[in-house]
Amino acid sequence: DATHGSSGDCQPCPCPAGATCAVVPKTREVVCTNCPAGTTGKRCELCDDGFFGDPLGQSGPVRACRACKCSDNIDPNAVGNCNRETGECLKCIHNTDGFFCDRCMEGFYGNALATNVADKCKPCSCSPLGTVGRQTGCSQVTGQCPCLPNVAERDCSACQPGFFNLQSAAGCERCNCNPIGSTN
Amino acid sequence: TRPDVHPLPPGTHLLFAQSGRIEHIPLEGYVMKKGDAKAVLHLPEKVIIGVAYDCVEKMVYWTEITSPSISKASIQGGEPIAVIRSDVDSPEGIAIDHLGRTMFWTDSMKDRIEVASLDGSQRRVIIDSDLVNPRAIITDPPNGNLYWADWNRDAPKIETSYMDGSNRRVLVKDDLGLPNGLTYDSQSSLLCWVDAGTHKMECTHPGHGDRRKIMEGLQYPFGITSFGKNIYYTDWRRDAVIAVDRHAGKELDEFQPQKRTKIYGIATAYAQCPSGQNYCAVN
Repeated sequence: DATHGSSGDCQPCPCPAGATCAVVPKTREVVCTNCPAGTTGKRCELCDDGFFGDPLGQSGPVRACRACKCSDNIDPNAVGNCNRETGECLKCIHNTDGFFCDRCMEGFYGNALATNVADKCKPCSCSPLGTVGRQTGCSQVTGQCPCLPNVAERDCSACQPGFFNLQSAAGCERCNCNPIGSTN
Repeated sequence: TRPDVHPLPPGTHLLFAQSGRIEHIPLEGYVMKKGDAKAVLHLPEKVIIGVAYDCVEKMVYWTEITSPSISKASIQGGEPIAVIRSDVDSPEGIAIDHLGRTMFWTDSMKDRIEVASLDGSQRRVIIDSDLVNPRAIITDPPNGNLYWADWNRDAPKIETSYMDGSNRRVLVKDDLGLPNGLTYDSQSSLLCWVDAGTHKMECTHPGHGDRRKIMEGLQYPFGITSFGKNIYYTDWRRDAVIAVDRHAGKELDEFQPQKRTKIYGIATAYAQCPSGQNYCAVN
């Protein structure tokens, strides 16, 4: 308050270099009004939307604001793609999930980090008749669904050779054919 | 009055969201009075996406995604009031029906469109299917119509329905890319949009099937609002508000705030409500 006329009236803004500030009259709170590029917040302590970091080092070492790091599995046209402080990815696409959108969503398998979208995460599509407890999840890497006894294939959609009755939804039964007189 | 809310003088203004604040630019006729632009509301910890204006109570409404919520404040100075705080994930577009006293919003994570009274009560989901990336939403209160855009990269579309979600129809689906912004001018009955994929601004009279290009070569449009013959849009690459003459299809002016960061939603704060009766009062 420069109207008082003492030497301590005007104080430097508690803001990073170049930022201006203003005093909120009622609360006397000082707010930075023109934070450096990429930063925002009362003290320029936050990153802009689409960036993450800890520009003032409020909870550890200083981390400059960087673009969200989500394994190319976010859409640049979306808003709020990652947590502004931790960088946790919040809007994974291409059926990916995880802190960095670096693994497949539940119910999908493949390589979330593949460069080609078609090679990323594919649906498990487990056969409900052949899968334990009609589960929809499969191995993240191989895509193998958990099959009922004597059931085969990645998606548990067929009986093993020499077995039949997938429709029972309780596993396949042995054919019990006489080896003499049976083909195949 | 709250000190971080700066009252606006009477007259028509543009309101837009940039980096934790809502700023305004007064309009003199159609001209942006750039020298008089200033912040109306400081919310330094928030990421504000959508902005809407209620011409009756002279309140600004906004959506915010860091602690997902919808709030409002009087532009004549007043405490921000949270109206929706629960069961929202990523509220983006917001629109006011100033006649019916309701608000509509899109949620890009829940993939739905909801309606509620302006105090947040009487909340209801009106659209919850076939939405992938719903963003822009706009009302036409005198006719009881709702318009919204979905920038789904696989099948972008602009849709319409009545204000209760019934009579839903796709208006535009061909030659769209990322239709981020929508605006409806009730005087000319024109629905206009900006597209960050095709880089175009286009308009149509809903129900007439016509469609015309106003401008092309836009950089990265996000929000759009109309006022008379003019259209104003925000651009993520230019970090600016750009004024366009809709008849001439020509850029008139640009306002670039000192702070270089993305500008999101934009709305026209009318000095007076546009004339028109509630369609329910007529029927």
